Amino acid sequence: MIYNKHNTTKQPIPNEPRASARAELRTHKNLQAPNGLVLRNMLFAIFLSSAFLCLLTPKTYAGGFDHAFQTAQQRAVKLYGLGAGQQVGYGTGIIASEDGYIVTVLSLIISGDRIRAVTANGQRFEAELIKRDTDQQLALLKLKWPDDADASTKNKPIGPLPHYDFSCQELPSESCHHPLLPGDWIVSAGNPFKIADGAEQMSLAHGVFSARTRLDARRRSKDFRYTGDVLLIDAITSNPGSPGSVMVNLQGELVGMIGRLVISNRTHTHLNYAIPYDVLADFYLQATQASPDGTRELITKPVVEPFDPGIRISHTGFRTVLPFVDRVVRNSPAKRAGLRKDDLILSVNDHEVSDVSEFDKRIKARDPAESIELIIRRKRSILTIHIEPPEAKTQP
Amino acid sequence: MNPRTILILLLLISCQSPSAYADAQKKADDDTALLMATQQTFRNVAASMKSYLVRIDTVGGTQPGAQLNLDNDDIKKGKRRLQNPFRDTLGSGFVIADGPATGIVYSRDGYILTSSFNFAREPALISVTLPDGRRLAADLVARDHVRKLALLKVDADGLPLPTWRRDEDVQVGEWAIALGLGFGGREPSVTVGVISAKNRMQGNAIQTDAKLSPANYGGPVCDVFGRVIGIAVPMAQRAGELAGVDMYDCGVGFLVPESRIKLIVPQLMAGVSFQRGWLGIQVRSVPGVGVVVQSIADPSPMRDAGVLPGDIIEAINGSNLRNYADLAKQIYMIPAGQDLQIRLSRDGGAIELAVPLASAESLGSLPEAEEPFDPSVPVEENTPDDQEEPTPPAPD
Repeated sequence: MIYNKHNTTKQPIPNEPRASARAELRTHKNLQAPNGLVLRNMLFAIFLSSAFLCLLTPKTYAGGFDHAFQTAQQRAVKLYGLGAGQQVGYGTGIIASEDGYIVTVLSLIISGDRIRAVTANGQRFEAELIKRDTDQQLALLKLKWPDDADASTKNKPIGPLPHYDFSCQELPSESCHHPLLPGDWIVSAGNPFKIADGAEQMSLAHGVFSARTRLDARRRSKDFRYTGDVLLIDAITSNPGSPGSVMVNLQGELVGMIGRLVISNRTHTHLNYAIPYDVLADFYLQATQASPDGTRELITKPVVEPFDPGIRISHTGFRTVLPFVDRVVRNSPAKRAGLRKDDLILSVNDHEVSDVSEFDKRIKARDPAESIELIIRRKRSILTIHIEPPEAKTQP
Repeated sequence: MNPRTILILLLLISCQSPSAYADAQKKADDDTALLMATQQTFRNVAASMKSYLVRIDTVGGTQPGAQLNLDNDDIKKGKRRLQNPFRDTLGSGFVIADGPATGIVYSRDGYILTSSFNFAREPALISVTLPDGRRLAADLVARDHVRKLALLKVDADGLPLPTWRRDEDVQVGEWAIALGLGFGGREPSVTVGVISAKNRMQGNAIQTDAKLSPANYGGPVCDVFGRVIGIAVPMAQRAGELAGVDMYDCGVGFLVPESRIKLIVPQLMAGVSFQRGWLGIQVRSVPGVGVVVQSIADPSPMRDAGVLPGDIIEAINGSNLRNYADLAKQIYMIPAGQDLQIRLSRDGGAIELAVPLASAESLGSLPEAEEPFDPSVPVEENTPDDQEEPTPPAPD
C-alpha cells in the first residue's frame, strides 16, 4: 500500500545508473543464449568470458540489496596486520585498480612490517604501503606478486581483479561522482570483528544516507585530524574492522569508504560515517603519482598562515566566563565585518563556544584559509558576522 | 562435433538456463525497483520536512547532576564546571555535548516543540534558527520531565505547520523516518526504521528501530507521507533526566505520539512543567504477601487519603503488583498531580483509593518505620535496589 503511491503517480526514478547495471546483465544474458552452433573458436571465446563472469558475478541476483552487496564485496579485501590493545589488527580495504592498488584508512594495521590482504575469492597476498596521508587519515597499499607469478599457482590474481574506478578524470561528473540524497539506501561490505575468513563472504550492512557534513570528532581524548566532509549513515558501522569498508548505493556504485572509529564532538555519540567518493578519488590520484623523493607521506593540506581577526577578549577575572568582546582592533578583519565591543560570541564556524577558552580553541583550530563565521548576541538580537581574511599580500 | 565443443556446451547449460535466468532477473529487477521507489519516498519526506525543522543552540549550563551541589545563586555567580564534564554523575555513562539540537514548529505564532533532553544542562541562553534562516532568541516556556518534552517560544508569526498523524492509525511495521539537525549544518540528517511497538511506557511512547540519538532527539518521526507520528525523546523505565540516552542508535528508540502531545502541550503553554510523581511512602517487598507500606511522608497525598503503615498495595491502575519493581514500573511515567487508582488490602479487606502523585517539593519528611512488628510475616531480604528508599523515582 505504501508503494502504490509511487507506482501510480509514476514518480520519476533516476534510472541512469541502473540502466548501466542492466546493460551489464543483458550482455551477460546474451552470452548465455547462443543461437545455434557457431564457430568453435567463437564458442570457446564465449565460454572463456562467461567462465570469468561466472566467477565474478553470481548466477542471478536475488533482488533487494543483493546486486549492490555482491558488487561491493568482490571489490573489497580483508586486511590483516599490526594490532595493539584496542587497535585491532584487522580491517577492510577497497580494490582501486586491476594491478592491485588498495585504498584504506590509516591505522596501525598498515604500520607493521607485514600487511596481508585476502580477496573475495580467498586468494592471499602480501601488501605494501605506498602512500599515507595523516591529514585525511587515508592510506594507499599495493598488492604484491612476483614478476614471474602465475595464476595457476595462485600467487597472482585468478582473472582480472575486480575493482572500483578511482581515476575518473572529469571530477565532478555524473559518471564518476555519485551524489546521494538524504534517505537513499546505502550498503556496506566489510569485515567487522573479522568474522569472515578466507573466501567467506564479508558482512553486509544496510541503512540510509543521513547527511553530508563536516566531521568534528575525536578518537579517545584527541581531536580527529580529518575535518573534511563525511557521509553520515544510519547503518551501524562503528565497529572494529569496519573502517575501510566499501560503501555503495543501491546500484552497487561506490559512494564512499567507512572511516575510522570516532566519537562526535557535537553529540558525544559514536559516529557511523563514510569518507565521500570525491575525497577518495582526489587522494587516489595524488597518491598514485610518483613522488620524486620517494617519500610515503602525502601532504594534501596546503600550509597557510592564519590571519588575526582582531578580536580581543579579556582572559582575566574569574567572572568573565562568557566570551564578551572587550575590544575590536582598528582596521582589523573583525572591525570590517562589523563586530562591536560588548557583543557576546555564541558560536565560531558553527561550533558553539560557551566560554573564553573554547573561543580561543575554536579560533586556533579553524581552517586558516577560510573566513570565520561568528554568531553573536547584541542586546536581544542574534546576528551572524562573516570575518573575511584580509586581501592576500602580493608576492614580491 | 569434437569432445571439447560438447564439453563447452554442457558447461554453458549447467551454468544457467536462459529462461530461468530471465525469470529470476525479472523478479530481482522488480524488487530493486521497489527499493528505488522506497528510497524516493524517504527522499521526499526528508525534503518536505525541512520547512518545519528548527535548529536549537544553547549557550552555557552544566552537565545534569553537577547542579545538584549548587543552588541557583552559585550558577548565576558563574561557579560552573565544578565537576569534570566527562564524569557521569548519573551512572548513565553519557555526557551531553554542546552541539545543536532539533525542534519542530508547533504553532504559527512561534511555539516550538522539542525534547527536554536538549536543556538538561540548564542553558543560560537558547537560540532558535527557523526554517527560513532567521535566528531568534527563545524562551523555555515549560518542560515535561516525565515525557522528556519541552516547549519553546520565539517571536515569530505565520510559520508553516506540519501535518500530524493520529496515532490510532499507526501500524506496527510501517516505515518511520526520523530527522534531526544535531550533527550541525543546515541540512537535516535522516534515519529510517520501522514502528516496532505501540503503547510503550504506560501509553506515553511509540517504539521504533530508527536510529534515534542526540542527533535527532526533539525532532519529528514521520510516516511515508511526511506526517509527524511523534517527537523523538530518550526514554527508559527508570528515573533521571538522561535515562535512555545510553540506548542511542541501538534499535530501541521512543517517540511521544501525537495523542499524548495534544494532552501535554496546553499545560506547557500555560507555563506549567510536568514534574516527576512521587508516592511519598516507604515500602518493603514481602514474598508471598506483596508490597507492604512501611511509613508515609507527612504531609503527603497518601497520608491524606488515609493509607496506614502495614497496608498492602495490591494493584495500581488495575495492574497487580508483586514487588517493588512492579510498583516502580507503574509510576515512572506518571507525572505529579495525576491520580493513581490504588487497591489496598488491609486486614483482609480491599480498599479502593484515588490518590494523586506528589511533586518532590510538596512532600514532607518520612517518619521512622511505623509498621507494627509482626513476627509471623516473613521479611524478604532487601536487595540494594529496593532497600529502604522512598518509593520511586530516585531524585533526579
